[in-house]
Amino acid sequence: MAEFHLEMKVNGKPIVLDVDPGLRLLDVLRDILHLTGTKEGCGEGECGACSVILNGKLVDSCLVLAPQANGQEVITIEGIAQNGELDSLQKAFLEAGAVQCGYCTPGMILAAKVLLDHNSTPSRLEISKSISGNICRCTGYTKIIQAVEIAASRIATKEGADHA
Amino acid sequence: MPDYSTIGKSIQRIDGIDKVLGKSQYIADIDLPGTLCLKVLRSDVAHALVKKIDVSEVERIPGVVRIFTHVDIPGINGYGIIVKDQPALTDKVRFKGDAIALVAAENEEIAKRALKLIKVDFEKLPPIYDVWTALKEDAPAIHSRGNILTVSKIKKGDAEAVLNQAEVVVSRSYTTQRVEHCYIETEGGVAYIENGILVIKVSTQNPHYDRRDVARVLGLPMNKVRVIQATTGGGFGGKLDISVQCFLGLAAIKLGRPVRMVYDRQESFVATGKRHPFFIDYTTAANKEGKLLAVKVKIVGDTGAYASYGPATLVRAAVHATGPYEVLNVDIDALCVYTNNPISGAMRGFGTPQMAFACESQMDLLAEALGISPVEMRRRNILQQGSITATGQKMNKSVGIGKTLEAAWEKALQVMPGLGDERR
Ligand code: FES
Ligand code: FES
Repeated sequence: MAEFHLEMKVNGKPIVLDVDPGLRLLDVLRDILHLTGTKEGCGEGECGACSVILNGKLVDSCLVLAPQANGQEVITIEGIAQNGELDSLQKAFLEAGAVQCGYCTPGMILAAKVLLDHNSTPSRLEISKSISGNICRCTGYTKIIQAVEIAASRIATKEGADHA
Repeated sequence: MPDYSTIGKSIQRIDGIDKVLGKSQYIADIDLPGTLCLKVLRSDVAHALVKKIDVSEVERIPGVVRIFTHVDIPGINGYGIIVKDQPALTDKVRFKGDAIALVAAENEEIAKRALKLIKVDFEKLPPIYDVWTALKEDAPAIHSRGNILTVSKIKKGDAEAVLNQAEVVVSRSYTTQRVEHCYIETEGGVAYIENGILVIKVSTQNPHYDRRDVARVLGLPMNKVRVIQATTGGGFGGKLDISVQCFLGLAAIKLGRPVRMVYDRQESFVATGKRHPFFIDYTTAANKEGKLLAVKVKIVGDTGAYASYGPATLVRAAVHATGPYEVLNVDIDALCVYTNNPISGAMRGFGTPQMAFACESQMDLLAEALGISPVEMRRRNILQQGSITATGQKMNKSVGIGKTLEAAWEKALQVMPGLGDERR
């Protein structure tokens, strides 16, 4: 099969590749770019372990073909800590005990990030909805929701301070 | 409480930072150059003898390195945590999904293509999909020792006599379903030879047991096998059993190349253990004051094609059959039975959740029959200091369940207003 010329931005870096057009975005990230923080749990859009942010929206990268990501901007779990400093969600997940086996964690954090990027004062219900496409078999979700609340309140305090 | 450095404090997980950064290496994240891909041909019939395995077409495919079947097992072809009844590669199929042949190929695509070209001749046997058929005297034997794997009994006092005279008797049958653990990371592993030692890195809960079974199946001394638990994406009991370990070991020692095998979700569903479905006949007797007098329970657990943790699960079920309540007369039988269903093994609670469903339902029914509140019914029977359990253990140290009951009730009243209004 003819290769597809793929150009996209991943975690802020421009990427240029010739790939098999049948590859999923998940395969490109994991197997070619070695960004293995994005996980495969089901391969059919059920579990959310493969979640990445594509142009500001949360997607299951197992359901996105590589050519569909052409010209787009992708953010993976590897791209959200800034200058060696954990993102407030990453910190809050650790503090709240929202990480157990960790397999759902990258997808969960990205799902919560998309929420907080659009809404820094979410309700519990909004938080639950934002992670409703991501399955966690370990935590029972309570701690994850708490973690997102902690991160949201920190962001709100920080924004308040910035505006003062 | 005195101020300790660790006890009573929230401690950050040692692997937490790597996990939130996406840096932890689970099996599927390990990149070993030159790794062969392994895939298993699984049976699509439930009960059959394997008469012939024809791999002639497969061996001609470029990129197929080797196909293994039961004749290639160098050691004893049987593993299992309690009973060594599961062959790594079988010549008798006991469930849909039993492993028949192992393909080692240069990549996944070739391995998958190879699976389709292996031809197996079966001599079909009548499949048994329920425990009642399995228990019949003339049922075909799934294993040579018969279909009843274990019988566990607890007898205390004279339950039968009390049941015949008690003021209130409630008798019901309960069934519970098979449940898949569904850890988000499926099973997987890699293996390679290092300084003459077989090294298997695997997503597991049981590296020491894995090592013993791999050594047995491969005919190796234990000190030639090293099992390393990789960062494991959930287990819940389901990763206590052997999954990919023997396949990886076999291919690595025979081929001398690094090998890798990761189940997809479907294979994880098909091939690995589940929670035991239980069939429970439960009879409870109480007096007018709501004090439990006797319990008679028969439990049949469907352990599927292989034992896995079945015997221990049914022992646990028997021990917990009376729940957290004191009962003086107890008569419990728990049978662990083979069928041609998927394997049942360890899963969170190990037989106890199934029994809690039955036992607590009985408590509600008794409360209703006696016209007392379900909470009160439990208060009157809950284990406390000095109580004697069904197995005869005297609870002479602290017993917390009474406090837990009250705390749970308080919480229930908080979150479900109106709950306390009627007959509580
Ligand atoms: S792997 Fe994509 S949703 Fe499960
Ligand atoms: S932490 Fe294990 S699946 Fe969420």
